[in-house]
Amino acid sequence: MAAPTLRGVRPASRGTTRELAAPWRHIDLVLLGAVLVITALSLVMIYSATRNQQAATALGGGYYLERQAIYVGVGLAAMAVVALIDYRSLPEFAPVLYVVTLVVLLLVVSPLGATKRGSQAWFQLGGFQLEPSEFAKATMIVCLSAFIARHRSDLDGGRLAAVLGLIAVPLVLIYRQPDFGTAMVFAGILLALLLVGGARPRHLGALVLLGVLGAGAVLQLGVLKEYQVARLSAFFNPQGDAQGTSYNLRQSQTTIAAGGLKGKGMFEGSQTNLSFVPEQHTDFIFTAVGEQLGFIGAVTLLALFAIVVWRTWRSAVVSRDRFGTLICVGVLAMIVFQVFENVGMTMGITPVAGIPLPLMSYGGSSTVASFICIGLVLNVHMRRFA
Amino acid sequence: MTPDSSRLRMGILGMIVVSLFAAMLVRLWYLQVLAAPALSVEAQNNSVRLVTTEAPRGRILDRNGKVLVDNRVVDAVTLTRTDADRHPDILARLAPVLGATTDELTKRVHDDKFSAFKPVPIKEDVPKEKLIYIKEHQSDFPGVDAVQLTQREYPNGTLAAHLLGYVGQINDKELASRKAAGYKAGDTIGKSGVEQAYEADLRGQPAVEKLEVDSKGHVLRTLSFQPAVQGHDLQLTIDLDVQRVAEESLQNGLDQARNVYDRVTGESFKAPAGAAVVLDPNNGSVLAMASNPTYDPRDFVDGISQAKFAEFQDPAGFFPLNNRALQGLYAPGSTFKLVTGIAALEKGLIAPTDTIADTGSITVGGRVFRNALSEANGRIDLPRAVTVSSDVFFYDLGKRFWEARDRFGTTPIQDVAHSFGLGGPTGIDLPFESEGRVPDPASRKKSHDDNPTAFPTRDWFTGDNMILGVGQGDLVVSPVQLADAYATFANGGTVYAPRVAANVLDASSQVVRKIEPQVTRKVDLPASVRAPMLAGFEGAVADPKGTAFAAFQGFPLSQFSVAGKTGTAEVSGKQDTALFSAFAPADNPKFEVTVVMEQSGFGASAAAPVARRVIEQLAGLAPQPVNRVGGSD
Repeated sequence: MAAPTLRGVRPASRGTTRELAAPWRHIDLVLLGAVLVITALSLVMIYSATRNQQAATALGGGYYLERQAIYVGVGLAAMAVVALIDYRSLPEFAPVLYVVTLVVLLLVVSPLGATKRGSQAWFQLGGFQLEPSEFAKATMIVCLSAFIARHRSDLDGGRLAAVLGLIAVPLVLIYRQPDFGTAMVFAGILLALLLVGGARPRHLGALVLLGVLGAGAVLQLGVLKEYQVARLSAFFNPQGDAQGTSYNLRQSQTTIAAGGLKGKGMFEGSQTNLSFVPEQHTDFIFTAVGEQLGFIGAVTLLALFAIVVWRTWRSAVVSRDRFGTLICVGVLAMIVFQVFENVGMTMGITPVAGIPLPLMSYGGSSTVASFICIGLVLNVHMRRFA
Repeated sequence: MTPDSSRLRMGILGMIVVSLFAAMLVRLWYLQVLAAPALSVEAQNNSVRLVTTEAPRGRILDRNGKVLVDNRVVDAVTLTRTDADRHPDILARLAPVLGATTDELTKRVHDDKFSAFKPVPIKEDVPKEKLIYIKEHQSDFPGVDAVQLTQREYPNGTLAAHLLGYVGQINDKELASRKAAGYKAGDTIGKSGVEQAYEADLRGQPAVEKLEVDSKGHVLRTLSFQPAVQGHDLQLTIDLDVQRVAEESLQNGLDQARNVYDRVTGESFKAPAGAAVVLDPNNGSVLAMASNPTYDPRDFVDGISQAKFAEFQDPAGFFPLNNRALQGLYAPGSTFKLVTGIAALEKGLIAPTDTIADTGSITVGGRVFRNALSEANGRIDLPRAVTVSSDVFFYDLGKRFWEARDRFGTTPIQDVAHSFGLGGPTGIDLPFESEGRVPDPASRKKSHDDNPTAFPTRDWFTGDNMILGVGQGDLVVSPVQLADAYATFANGGTVYAPRVAANVLDASSQVVRKIEPQVTRKVDLPASVRAPMLAGFEGAVADPKGTAFAAFQGFPLSQFSVAGKTGTAEVSGKQDTALFSAFAPADNPKFEVTVVMEQSGFGASAAAPVARRVIEQLAGLAPQPVNRVGGSD
């Protein structure tokens, strides 16, 4: 596969030992550093949000912390492995990757999958749950990027339809679990890839319009499960039922506000310590940051995410080929969409959708998948001269 | 696609990202900096719960410090709601032990008048041995405990029930208007009588426990505890002994009336109800206030039962909750001659020595107005007319007032009635006082226009003025109004708003607040007016021809002179109302006694003997049984 670059950087020759080691010398330490700081903060926050509740149980106060530490370890290893494999070899495996993804997503909605909180989205593996849709984000980024990169300058109506077809199948499967939030992430990734991949403006406009109309139709036609509608209507009418669905929203915002400018201090704060926010260690982890570390801490966390996004954007720009650019754009879209949706949800500016905050929320699949995505970006970045 | 286009597209992506981050920053700034103060309070309230426990109410004492309403500590069994949920069978096990049904206990456990953060008292007044049984079998009764609660206690039973009133659980309407005063659902509040009127003094400050709870409502710890402060005691002007005698005498009088044959209706008097009021005319304080039939305030202690409540609403029971001394409205009959007589003297219609010939009847416009029993009293002046209660004399005054309305206006009698406090609230410090009605030509017109069926005539005729002169017609007053009017005459013209409470006392019986006598107005009562009327009232009791003479036979009037006026009021469709209003000693009045008895016959026969018994008590004389006598008016 030919590899012209965005900036016309001359491809380096390959072959010598020194040159083989070369990519590691170009690793993006800023990105890696930001990711590690976020991860460290994540561990502290998960501990603070769960220690009181768990202290009374047989599992002990450090239960969630220990498990998340294991996930981070696995994630770091996965990230290293993903970064190690030259991304330019991935398009060859894209069809296989795509089919495997579909099969796994099919299996999870089959009787083999496990149901938790109304969604059949997990495989139960011993004491751990595996959530394939998290990993599907990474594989679909690779597969879609590979397809779009191949048709970089002729993304006409027919090819656009092909792209939509490619993503439609996993999207429907995930939506069937049902996991409305993850399906939305896929839509976000798709739009970003099409934007940068060269889709025609009128196609993009039509897609955005379609998305808006589709969302409206989904709400109106009762395709959503009852709890999903409740979440959305709670978003539009937050004063509704203080102990019901809008309870999450009220408590979440109250908790963030309780932190004020400087925060209550680490391991302080009645809302976090007394477990007033449901799912605080997973989807609502940002509230623990907000209450304990205040505006200063929350802005610092957002700044760390901004660094991650900036470095990912930069990797997309400096990538030596379109495939690398698109991979980075996909990861960027995923991170930005999830950060905005998740943080926005805790602050009441986006609907509750059950999407984890990347690198922060407790959860093995989400953590490992996030590290894999970061691995992809590191991969593209460090091979920009290779 | 050109590199330029690519750069543009990456730029668009970057701008979207920047705007999304900016949106998050703005919202974060709003939540944590701008709105933080308000929302922080919410976070604080989230984890703090206030649990209040009512303080014992203040006691109610009589004028000599004798306890009328007390508090009693009772043992109650409590159950935590968590244990009730966890062990659904526990209530079924408890029911036979506590002598209640499972349904009753289930209802109590889920009654939201009890705090969600404290064990619920499911049964009060549990005998000690039952508590010991529960303690010995604690494993069968998880979450069951005992506490001590205070309840209202009435050491004298039903005595002064109407006056004291009862307490009950606050209702939605009361709660809505008193939330600012710190009341909560389930609180106890005075519902009538003194308990209601002096609620603010009697209610203490509740204990406030500040608890920290988690999101599931589990209590983690107590943040602060502020103990309850018992309400202030209230010392009344009531004399327990006089009150008891008033109630017993009234009861006796009514019982006796029921054994007497009524010639008008041809059956025994029904005598279903009555009232008695004793005032100190020199300051308006109430020494006794009785209403019959009565009720037992203890029925309200644990909440009134449906059956009891239905009983109180049944007309066959003559509504025992009504305080007839305040709420009952009666035609005053001849007791109203106080007003007609004063009006005639004061306006100069007659002189005290002017006489008329009482032939037993007077005919006006072809209609014959008769004395009671058509008795002829001969030539009589005003004092004599009061003493013998000549209707003819007062019919004549009514007629002459109306005929000379150019000189006296159309309402000379009504004006005096109003100035003595009749036909309007006295302003007594008790709730639910009735206003009464003193009719005049204007009110007649209004009544007719409002309701032509009940008031068929629109105009005021001579006959109306005559009937008013003897205290009949549309005229109705409450017993306490009548008592207040006679007290005003007795003290020489000061109208007091009657008072049942004297002092608010603290825990060491020191006076916190004195409830002063309240003068409503002064009426001009010169000796030229008062003396002839007083002579008539004294004669009514002391003169052998006096209407109350028989009732006071054997009473040592020379030691303790009594002046008074009998009254017998006709009520359409019912037997006569018996009335008697008196004050004593006549030359220096210290007491005013008014007795009103429904469907009991002549005031002279029924009401005066009851009043006599009360006056004996007031005078410190040896008690004599109430003794119905004959007589007219």
